[in-house]
Amino acid sequence: MTELMVKNACVIDPLNRINTEMMDIAIRDGRIVESVSGNADVIDAKGCLTLPGGIDSHTHVCGTKVNFGRYMSPEDMRAGRTARSGKMHVTSGYYVPTTYGNSYRYSRMGYTTLLEGAMAPLEARHTHEEFTATPHQDMLANTLFDGNWSVMEAVQKGDVRRVAAIVAWTLTAVKGYSIKLTNPGGTEAWGWGEDVTSIHEQVPNFNVTPAEIITAMIAANEMLRLPHSVHLHCNNLGKPGNYRTTLETFDLVPDRNKERQSLYATHVQFHAYGGTTWRNINSKAEEIARSVNAKPQIVMDMGQIMFGRTMTMTADGPMEFKLYCLHHNKWSNHDVELETGSGIIPVLYSKKSLVNCVMWAIGLELALLTKNPYQCLLATDNPNGAPFVKYPEIIGLLMSKRYRDEEFATLHDGTGQRTAISSIDREMDWNEIAIMTRAGQAKALGITTQGKGHLGVGAEADVAIYPIRCRDVDPSTEYRKVVEGFQKTMYTIKRGRVIAREGEIIVEGANSTFWVNPSVPEEISVASDPEFVKKFEEYYTVRMSNYPVQDVYLPRGKCIRTEAVL
Amino acid sequence: MRVILETKKCSKPFLPIEAESIIPRNFLKGTDLTVYEGNKERALSELFWIFVEGTAVSPDKVEVVLKGDTSRVKRVGEYMDTGTIRIVGDIGMHCGNFMSGGLIEIGGNADAWLGREMLDGSIICRGNAGHYCASGYRGEKHGMKGGRVEVMGNAGDFCAEYLTGGEVYIHGSCGDMAGVEMKGGQLVIGGDATRPCGNMKDGTCMIFGTVHRMLPTFTKTGTQLLPDHKVAMEVYTGDVANRGKGTLMVSSRVPAR
Repeated sequence: MTELMVKNACVIDPLNRINTEMMDIAIRDGRIVESVSGNADVIDAKGCLTLPGGIDSHTHVCGTKVNFGRYMSPEDMRAGRTARSGKMHVTSGYYVPTTYGNSYRYSRMGYTTLLEGAMAPLEARHTHEEFTATPHQDMLANTLFDGNWSVMEAVQKGDVRRVAAIVAWTLTAVKGYSIKLTNPGGTEAWGWGEDVTSIHEQVPNFNVTPAEIITAMIAANEMLRLPHSVHLHCNNLGKPGNYRTTLETFDLVPDRNKERQSLYATHVQFHAYGGTTWRNINSKAEEIARSVNAKPQIVMDMGQIMFGRTMTMTADGPMEFKLYCLHHNKWSNHDVELETGSGIIPVLYSKKSLVNCVMWAIGLELALLTKNPYQCLLATDNPNGAPFVKYPEIIGLLMSKRYRDEEFATLHDGTGQRTAISSIDREMDWNEIAIMTRAGQAKALGITTQGKGHLGVGAEADVAIYPIRCRDVDPSTEYRKVVEGFQKTMYTIKRGRVIAREGEIIVEGANSTFWVNPSVPEEISVASDPEFVKKFEEYYTVRMSNYPVQDVYLPRGKCIRTEAVL
Repeated sequence: MRVILETKKCSKPFLPIEAESIIPRNFLKGTDLTVYEGNKERALSELFWIFVEGTAVSPDKVEVVLKGDTSRVKRVGEYMDTGTIRIVGDIGMHCGNFMSGGLIEIGGNADAWLGREMLDGSIICRGNAGHYCASGYRGEKHGMKGGRVEVMGNAGDFCAEYLTGGEVYIHGSCGDMAGVEMKGGQLVIGGDATRPCGNMKDGTCMIFGTVHRMLPTFTKTGTQLLPDHKVAMEVYTGDVANRGKGTLMVSSRVPAR
């Protein structure tokens, strides 16, 4: 039995409606309890800001795509080098760091749970291996279904029960957590050298439209009662004028679940552009935010960009090819047989570029114009918008109008005409930031029942203590203190163990990987469906019996069982 | 102030020495520096005899002289910003990495990656230079951005790869793929070159010797007389395979009148 007592903590716990209250937190065997014995180890938080462990609901830190980013950028490995010391492995890299680098830097910022944004089912083994090597964070994997041939065939026949059965089999086989759709239909079209330009355009060779795929997937997701909703990267990412597609997509979404949203729209900043070309691009964040404010069934994340070098990596193959045509730099595109694709290219977001400045403003506008912070979460789509180490700066920008104005003054002159960022006065408070970085994310991912994202009795003891005295600091003027405070925790506690102290990692990690196992009735299960098996053996280069990820790849897997309602 | 570093006789002469601390600025505060021999950190005085002559008030007045067998001493002059380094013999890899000012003079040969990604200053090598002279490092798309590298002898393969600014003058011949991916600056090759300037986007490359295996993706636009060199050059533009706007000049076989 290990016990720990955190004393004098200034706690913000939005899910339990605790807002800057001084209290003590008692921890026993990795869980938060009412009280502990007198022998417990004591940590004095000294009245500093104490939050539930941070959760990143959309990040790319593990998997083949990230690794390919590493292959492609040996020059990045010159940055962020730290030697082996104590329990810490060697790290290197800035925008595509090593797995340990990712894990340590997240720990330092108080993050304890991550959702890998896109895992190709066929390449799941590698993703799970890298999860194991990201030792300090609990991991969840979004599983890609955007170009899944069997799914599209079932959608085309209008058979949602079969869609659900295929999703259930695949999620169980690859130990995934939720459904990810990346440019639904478009990525498959890219396999044929094409793309889809609207949600009502037919995917070549399949006679389905992205709208049909999205609707069927939302229905299947709710049938399977998965903890998370459908996680959607909308069509037409990064094209001027794409906000219409985004709004049309949002209009498709029914309110199907009382507990959480029915659609998680990710990196919406990249989907909120007006105009017709790069020359007249402008912000349509207001329209998007208005739509989201009126639809409680939608949650989005910002997809904020920050200036500097980074790497874009997504399953959206055609978009990456278009970016390559723009930059003529290093480039990789990849097709995952029968399932999805991907693309990777490095980018530099520059203040000299008007387009980049508009993008920067749109992300902030989305967060500031969305009334309910539970509906717009803080993420950069790491590393696409910026490496996650920039999160503290984003928190500073959201909390301080003055910081935004100072940054705005350094941007391209045209930014003001094309965005409304300088006219927004809202400054977020500590509670709202806590929602956008942990409580909202836990709720959206459906992991509050696993004890994530809050500090109530019974919750997992993931706690982050930041060196900020939030009653003494005025974030709107002292934003530097806020940024510095969020960069490095005093203590990061993961499942009752202190893993980072003043930025130093002090233990070997032992994370868990959460995955779902939805059980469906035998008569509709695809595992024994001769047609499914025949097609699988005919088209895949792997045998169906070799496809599922063995348990050995998840040394600390945690299975969440759900009972499908078909 | 002159600091003379002479290599001591060493029991394991093949171990590389990583000496990024050998830059003039560091000697202003004394000679209490460390370098790596293999994976062991050593005091500079363990590997070199150190002689200091005179004093200096600013780093630009510091001259560092390396003597003895320095062919395995790597990273000399990395991030150097001012002052002078003179190397009597050969020097190891990565000499003058990211250099932003000052002068490095090499009496013998230089190993690979001489002056890679340098920003300003100048390097003169009286012998031959190895591969990747004045280039960008692996994956880096902007190589040398400024300054001047002059090699009296020959250079190896991939000379001035990703050259973005500054001037590279090779008096002898270059190996394979000189000036590939050039984005700016000027590359002058006194001797021969093989397959030069592939994927060139901008900048100028002049070759006064023979070009072997000239790439087909260059368009000839005319001839030009260079009065300084008393030679007529055939002017090509390219690399057209990648929207290139670079200029490649090759000395004409027809004698200038």
